[in-house]
Amino acid sequence: MIFKRLRIFALTLLTAGFFACSESGENKTDAPKESLFDDQQLEIPQETMEQLIDNVSSPIEMAALIKKAGISFSKDYVSNPDKVDNLNTSFEQALRLGILGSDLGYLNMYDKTGMVINYISAIKSLADNLKVGQFFDFQTLKKLATNSTNLDSLMYLSVSSFNQMDNYLRENKRTNISALMVTGVWIEGLFLATQVVKSNPNVNIAERIGDQKNMLNNIIIILGNFKNDKNFTSLVTDLNELKEAYKDVKISIEQGEPEQVEENGRLVIKQNSKSVVEITDEQLKNIIQVTAKIRNKLVQ
Amino acid sequence: MKKILFIILFISPFLLKAQCNQTLVDIAVKDLKGAASYLKDFKVRLKAQEPRKQQPVAKFSITLSKGQSYRFNVAADKGLPGQPIIQLYDGNKLQGSSFFKGKDYKSFDFPCTKTGQYLVFITFNEGKEGCAAGVLSVLK
Repeated sequence: MIFKRLRIFALTLLTAGFFACSESGENKTDAPKESLFDDQQLEIPQETMEQLIDNVSSPIEMAALIKKAGISFSKDYVSNPDKVDNLNTSFEQALRLGILGSDLGYLNMYDKTGMVINYISAIKSLADNLKVGQFFDFQTLKKLATNSTNLDSLMYLSVSSFNQMDNYLRENKRTNISALMVTGVWIEGLFLATQVVKSNPNVNIAERIGDQKNMLNNIIIILGNFKNDKNFTSLVTDLNELKEAYKDVKISIEQGEPEQVEENGRLVIKQNSKSVVEITDEQLKNIIQVTAKIRNKLVQ
Repeated sequence: MKKILFIILFISPFLLKAQCNQTLVDIAVKDLKGAASYLKDFKVRLKAQEPRKQQPVAKFSITLSKGQSYRFNVAADKGLPGQPIIQLYDGNKLQGSSFFKGKDYKSFDFPCTKTGQYLVFITFNEGKEGCAAGVLSVLK
């Protein structure tokens, strides 16, 4: 009798273990048959692509820098979350998902929980259309946004959901969707920084904008890998205009030896190397203009 | 008795695996105590290696930006012997490590002064088997 019970117990655990091992197994959904859902033959190896995508900055980093600079929130910088249901192609949906993700990071950074609900609703709708909605826990996010005492959890769950969607897309050879999503995040972050610096001149933000020169080059490489699709080609053409605006921005490195110290019980690394960005007012003005043109075209 | 032993041996890897997941990320994020905002995580599970052989290491590529202060912290599965060590490299130059002057730290801060790509290495002390989640966050 005891062995019979143990066998049932073991079988139950084995079944549970199987699902625990196939970590995202329970979340797998068949993607619709559409050209954007299958990676074509990539010119750049998958691993290199993933590394490039991994290195595109997070939706909240630009917002964190802006908040740190003491600049107040403006709803004029974020996109309109309405009418996402009108976006018909996965190309448009993935880009907008990234744009809204970046906006959500900005709203969360400034504790604008009242506005968050509309953004998470739009994100959930787009994520469902792209078959990654299972990673976006709308109900919990909504609850956290309503209960504004839990802002850190809201921020964590939002960013973590985006990371999980991105990982899932790449694991399932939908790198093209992942590439569009991170491009949306990046362009919206750049738009945010350029709009902020336009009305609030700030050396650190201007320098961060100049710093994006290398990231822009990486994004063009990532998107260029899907040049068989005319939508990608068109986006790359627009980004090449931005690349031209960045052409004379100079980035240099001053090398130094790192050191580790303990400060107030915390371990701190002092880097002692630094990057220096040289960007003129004229270059910045041009970058602001071209960025706005590209971003506004994407959110039309 | 043999049957019980078989069941324990057979199912234990599944139980260990079940602990080596998002739960550790949640623990590491909780350890931030609101001082920093989560950016990304690095989940690592490494098998034991013999002492004189090269220790296994998990590597992750990240971009860090000048003007931003980052925190790297780590949470480990206490059911396994390996204590995680998290290291940050700029190219092949070690910037710092959570194991410093013979002491294990659960985190370190990195005020970044140079924008660029960096590598995060996660290993376990003496090549022991371990499971951990490293978290990269930006200080508020």
